[in-house]
Amino acid sequence: MFRVLLSLTAAALVFVAAWVVWDRARGPTATPIADFSAPFVFGRFSVPADNPLTQEAFALGRHLFYDPILSGNNTVSCASCHLQALAFTDGRAKSPALSGGVLEFSSMSLANLLWGQERFFWDGRATSLEEQALIPIQHPDEMDQDIDALMVELRASIKYRRMFRRAYGDVTAENTAKALATFMRMLISSDSKYDRYLRGKARLTAQEEHGRKLFMAHPDTKVSLRGGNCIDCHSQFLTSGFRDALDGFSNNGLDPDGTLPDGLMAVTGNSAHKGFFKVPTLRNIAVTAPYMHDGRFKTLEEVMDHYNDGIVVSDTLSPLILEADNAPDNGPDTIGLRMTPEEMAAIIAFLHTLTDEVFLTNPQLSNPFDGDT
Amino acid sequence: MKLSRFGQSVLIGACVVVTGLSPAHSQDREESQGMVLLRGLPTLDTNHSIAIVELDPESDRFGDILSEVEQPEMEHPLHHLYYSPNGRLYATGLDPVCSLAEIGLSRDAGGAPVVSGFTCLDTQGQIVGEDIMWATSNGQEYMFVTFMGGTGGDDGGSVGVFDPQTNESVKVIEARKSQVGEGEPYIMYPHGISAFEDRMVVTSTVHPDLATGVGNVLTIIDLNTLEPIENITVENEKPLDFPSSPVEVLFARPSIHPDIEPAILANTMFGFETWKVPYDAGSKTFGKPEVIYSGVANETAVPLEFYGNEDELFISHALPGVVKRYELAALPELVSSGPDIVADPGAHHMIFFTSASGRKLIAVQNNLLNLGNGAEDDPTDVDFIADLNAHTISVHDLATGERIATVDFKERYNKGVDNIEGLFGSGFVHHH
Repeated sequence: MFRVLLSLTAAALVFVAAWVVWDRARGPTATPIADFSAPFVFGRFSVPADNPLTQEAFALGRHLFYDPILSGNNTVSCASCHLQALAFTDGRAKSPALSGGVLEFSSMSLANLLWGQERFFWDGRATSLEEQALIPIQHPDEMDQDIDALMVELRASIKYRRMFRRAYGDVTAENTAKALATFMRMLISSDSKYDRYLRGKARLTAQEEHGRKLFMAHPDTKVSLRGGNCIDCHSQFLTSGFRDALDGFSNNGLDPDGTLPDGLMAVTGNSAHKGFFKVPTLRNIAVTAPYMHDGRFKTLEEVMDHYNDGIVVSDTLSPLILEADNAPDNGPDTIGLRMTPEEMAAIIAFLHTLTDEVFLTNPQLSNPFDGDT
Repeated sequence: MKLSRFGQSVLIGACVVVTGLSPAHSQDREESQGMVLLRGLPTLDTNHSIAIVELDPESDRFGDILSEVEQPEMEHPLHHLYYSPNGRLYATGLDPVCSLAEIGLSRDAGGAPVVSGFTCLDTQGQIVGEDIMWATSNGQEYMFVTFMGGTGGDDGGSVGVFDPQTNESVKVIEARKSQVGEGEPYIMYPHGISAFEDRMVVTSTVHPDLATGVGNVLTIIDLNTLEPIENITVENEKPLDFPSSPVEVLFARPSIHPDIEPAILANTMFGFETWKVPYDAGSKTFGKPEVIYSGVANETAVPLEFYGNEDELFISHALPGVVKRYELAALPELVSSGPDIVADPGAHHMIFFTSASGRKLIAVQNNLLNLGNGAEDDPTDVDFIADLNAHTISVHDLATGERIATVDFKERYNKGVDNIEGLFGSGFVHHH
């Protein structure tokens, strides 16, 4: 009897040892995302050939996104400034800096990054999600992490060694960026009321429909067409921006020349880009206050007030904004859309239809360390 | 190193599997991709299907089917494709079990568009769906569908009115010739549909069995009441000794081009003519119909579709298989804007797009009904429209009409091609 038990135990140990060796020796698994489907109407997207969407990469990226191990003092994760319930913004005008004070820009919403976007951040300083992913980690005021030190920490973790091995192979900075990029690409929001309206599964109220029409129209008083002029810049409002490299950047009349920040010019060196910032997605816009690159507007009403009569002229102001006026005969006192309060309320009502509660609460996108996800 | 290379191979392989395409192909542009409705040919043992096909002759995938959903359970195929103003894709159908359908489109993990299926809609018994247009009645938008078989019978035909959000049937506009009084307006075998302000026009074409009866009138529908109010006869020459069978119709109107005086244009399938019916929007009255194009005189037959871009109107003639082009601003008169585009017998629907190098192209689907060939014992053969089914899509330079390439669907896929629509719409502005 004892011999039998001994034999069984030995066999089990050999099996476990073999499995461990096999598990460590095998390459990445690369399981396609189960039941992946994206709305056709969002348009074409492309995924880097060397970083396809896989279950393993997504799982790794999700863990990394929510893990404060990515920061130098192990207290700040990507999710610290990108909260799911706030469409991956943080509800602040500007996030706090590690060194005290605040960061330069407001935290950007993360959604539908699969589409469009050849440049990331408000000023377009990254040209891919993979490049973008490592910048905040190493920024001294954001996560202040030495990337080599991070690799040492990750390699010390059995869990991460296994997850990296399954997703990509080695624990490297490049694979860390790939995993984070994959997680961000999978932040797909496609179930707002407006999405359901497009699918024929919901009706807009009269006010929302009025707002939709205003949103889509450039004002033309010659044919009595009133418009909110939104679509001129926000044509990709359901996704995350324009495909063409610099098309999705604009000066929307926030500051005069004297105090106009560099914006995109800091990246391109082109003075014509001074004051240009990324035109953001409007998906979930109702939950991503405060607004603009510096979070200067607390509410959508303040945003509408800006576009209605608060446009500040500067050399690089978007001509689409400069010429959009529903009441040009009323004199040049202010520059803006000059819509009625009812029209502005209608546009705001329409913007609320872009809120996707399913996305904001999707457990597959939530913190995996919470235990119940 | 071996493991690393193996890992790379796994990743690249996974990418190919995930995308269904090579990395290079996953970046293909989509402007030149077409949606087609393919008909299985009984003698070739193939199924009807909805497919996405590459139509840029500059692409190494020219003519390839990129995505396809078959309908083995349907005796007759889907018929015509239309995008709604909100970008939803619909198809009318010839099979009584699916006279109207919404087609699902989505994207796979590589970003490629895929046909994800279709849902047959409740038409309240209306069969043989033909054309669709979206128009407003009393400020409310509806989807209007012509059903050439209507709810059945020898003089059937109806215009179905549907909620554009829910796809639910709102009303069936029906007025049988045998049931309305003498001289009262009727709807029979409706096919073409167009509208201007509060007036809609549908044609009276032919009974779906192609034998019971043939029409020769236009029916005017008041969009305020959704009731037929007038018939207008459009019949002159009878080269086939049949009634004229008006088929497609376009209500030429100022919104198409500001210089246009409102008028109905109608093609007669068996009269081989294009008719003009002037319209006075002030008095809401129609003038005397007149022939503005004679197929007999010009040696063309079976005029079918109207398509317009920003400055030209295109009319397809199934025989000899040409697309004639006219100045849009001159409508409702037909003033030639260039030489014919010589397609193939059955020249029918068309789309407009650009090649990868930016060349402006037109693709013409060349099949009348994609009926079979009697010589092959095909039971769907109908003698009087033989030689109208080339089973091809020919691609031409839009400026010169020069044929650049052709996809022969029968030769390549053992199927015919019933309809074509651009993946992002046909690139035309004016069709109905």
